[in-house]
Amino acid sequence: MTNTYIESFPAEAKVVRAAFYSSFLALAIGGLFGIVQTLHRTGYYRFMDSADYYTVLTAHGVLLAITFTIFFLVGVFTWAVTTSLDRPVEDIRFTWVWYGLMVVGTVLTAIPIFAGFTDSEMSASVLFTFYAPLQGHPLFYFGLVLFVVGTWLAGADWFRSWWAWKQEHPDERIPLPTFMVLTTTLMWYIATLGVAAAILLFLLPWSLGLVESVNPLLTRTLFWFFGHPVVYFWLMPAYMMWYIMLPKISGGKLFSDPLARVVFVLFLILSVPTGIHHQYLDPGIAEGFKFIAMTNTMFLLLPSLLTAFTVVASMEHGARQRGGTGYLGWLKALPWRDPVFAGMALAGLMFAAAGFSGMINAGMNINYLVHNTFWVVGHFHLTVGTAVALTFMAVTYWFLPQVTGKELWSRSVALGQVVLWFVGMTFMSNAMHRGGLLGIPRRTAEPQYEGFEFEAAVGSVGELDAQIALGGALLTLSLVLFFANVIGTALNSRSDDLPANEYADTLSGPSDAPLVLDNLKLWTAIAIVLVIFAYSFPLLSIIERGGLFGPELTELPVSIGPGLEYLSTTTVSTVTTAGETAIAIIAGVGS
Amino acid sequence: MRISKGALLVVIAFTAPLIVELRTVLAWVNVELTVLESAVLGIGLIGVLLVWALWPQSQNNATESAETE
Amino acid sequence: MSQTADEKARSETPEHDREIGHDEFDPIGTLTLIGIYFLILVFLWFFMYFVEFLGNDPTVVGGTLVFAATGERLR
Ligand code: HEM
Ligand SMILES: [Cu+2]
Repeated sequence: MTNTYIESFPAEAKVVRAAFYSSFLALAIGGLFGIVQTLHRTGYYRFMDSADYYTVLTAHGVLLAITFTIFFLVGVFTWAVTTSLDRPVEDIRFTWVWYGLMVVGTVLTAIPIFAGFTDSEMSASVLFTFYAPLQGHPLFYFGLVLFVVGTWLAGADWFRSWWAWKQEHPDERIPLPTFMVLTTTLMWYIATLGVAAAILLFLLPWSLGLVESVNPLLTRTLFWFFGHPVVYFWLMPAYMMWYIMLPKISGGKLFSDPLARVVFVLFLILSVPTGIHHQYLDPGIAEGFKFIAMTNTMFLLLPSLLTAFTVVASMEHGARQRGGTGYLGWLKALPWRDPVFAGMALAGLMFAAAGFSGMINAGMNINYLVHNTFWVVGHFHLTVGTAVALTFMAVTYWFLPQVTGKELWSRSVALGQVVLWFVGMTFMSNAMHRGGLLGIPRRTAEPQYEGFEFEAAVGSVGELDAQIALGGALLTLSLVLFFANVIGTALNSRSDDLPANEYADTLSGPSDAPLVLDNLKLWTAIAIVLVIFAYSFPLLSIIERGGLFGPELTELPVSIGPGLEYLSTTTVSTVTTAGETAIAIIAGVGS
Repeated sequence: MRISKGALLVVIAFTAPLIVELRTVLAWVNVELTVLESAVLGIGLIGVLLVWALWPQSQNNATESAETE
Repeated sequence: MSQTADEKARSETPEHDREIGHDEFDPIGTLTLIGIYFLILVFLWFFMYFVEFLGNDPTVVGGTLVFAATGERLR
């Protein structure tokens, strides 16, 4: 008897395992496209037509930023709720229903994306941000809707478990992991209202031909209403792992349960009213609104700094219990040989680096320097591409034995894998940041122009490209090692000698946390009020100016007909001078 | 061994950002390294680390496995 | 598995060699590390000042302030 998760909750372990495998499949395909893009952009190996670049980029973005992350999240959250409440889900059939809905949604979304590689009429090369004027096949939006509804039901499942548990434990505090799940879910419900509105009211009817046009700025704003908090939806499961797994694996306890609750409450109330910070360069939104978004964003630094403190202090507690001493000497006492620990620690370190480039992005004026350049891609490969993805891969080495009952195939390969990801990302992300400072654009298949050269301050653009390609190759190798381990573990036979299903204890427990922290209704109400403050005026003024369904707008299926020049001119002019110019150009070029 | 193999691997990995950023930082004080030069510097640094880590500590090598990991 | 503080206090990892409670624990190492991080951040901000601002006109917020003070739009 080892008390693994699969022994305590055999039925739930199956769902969690299915969610993990779905997420890994997305990671594999998305990662493959990652290296294809890298080699194409840098010019090392271009085997496809540059017009197909956007199809590749859409698949990379959607599969990694949406599918991989969220499938992993629902697996972890289901594990967290069942483990910390110590009760099975209320109805396992319901759990399979939401999982199934997410799978069907993903498949329906993937079909038009992949059809973009064929000669068929169908395509959805709209990038993972999918706002107008880019238009995809209706199936793409429909699939997304099903996927999101699946996550809503998943949230309902977790709430249902909590309500049932509360009936039996009326006077107990919500266990920390469940608290984290519930606050994150509430944030997600508020945030997804934005995409739901964007898709159901505008993009889907427009793509079906039910309405003639949409107001591009409105759909962009609704997208970013969701687009910023989705960042925290990726991050919260990683934070959860740092709070409740990392201390235990370091040999210590979580420094403070109350502080952890404060952090999650702050994310619930501050994540949504900040989305406009992605639109600092959008014409049509007044500077004052952007300034408010910037202020809210800076407040978000607070929970991030609290997290840095709590998590590092918990690690230090572990290190000192293991005999570590000194101001920095305790670092040596940490279990660096354990891939679960090393991966999460390296992920956290890269997140600290991303904190700096994030502050640059967040500043309204400095943002002008880096907006839509390769810098931004460098930044989010440190955040979602490493802090989140590497944490997920590292905890997979702990979760796999729990949900399969089998021993990990190889711990040494696992350690090599996480270290390799760190090194690869160092090379790739550093060069992306520097390239961005030179003005090299993101989302560009061939970032080289006739009669113009980017000038590097140090070295040359050729060297930056080499660094990016090298980093991308190391990352791909790291992925291969990861999948070898996943497959090797799946093929192992059952083992009786596995660690028990536990998470970290706390030094200062929930009894020290003020009761009001557990008042989810209060925090949700505050969150909604803040959202209304931050968004009602910008939305009203956007609608007042451009109309609900916009000035007449000509959609752009990205199956590039008359050439790239046409594409760029129309995009620029639709965004800037809207209707007339675009129509004139298309009438001229298109017919 | 002064530190565990795992820790050594991680320390070696840390040389990557150091070397990569060092080149940029040095350029600000007008020291321009070529790629080859910084690669050599990096390999040198890793070499020093290896020597430091693997050099037998004067006595009690026997306690080695007890104090690591 | 719902963990109250004392219930699980003894279930420690094998490498564990001493027990440090809430009151004896002084996270000085954390302070040191975060302090170093903070210094790096300050240095980078300072550095950015040279990259972005020296020799440039005030942008967005600076411009708004100038506008508020003088009623004159820059550019
Ligand atoms: C093998 C590892 C990876 C490589 C080589 C890679 C490479 C790239 C490159 C070169 C781009 C920029 C293309 C452009 O702007 O023209 C990109 C974009 C992107 N990557 Fe990755 N990446 C990898 C892993 C990841 C991971 C793990 C995630 C997230 C979990 C991720 C998320 C994204 C997103 C969201 C974009 C933006 C897509 C867009 O602009 O629409 N990548 N990737
Ligand atoms: Cu954001």
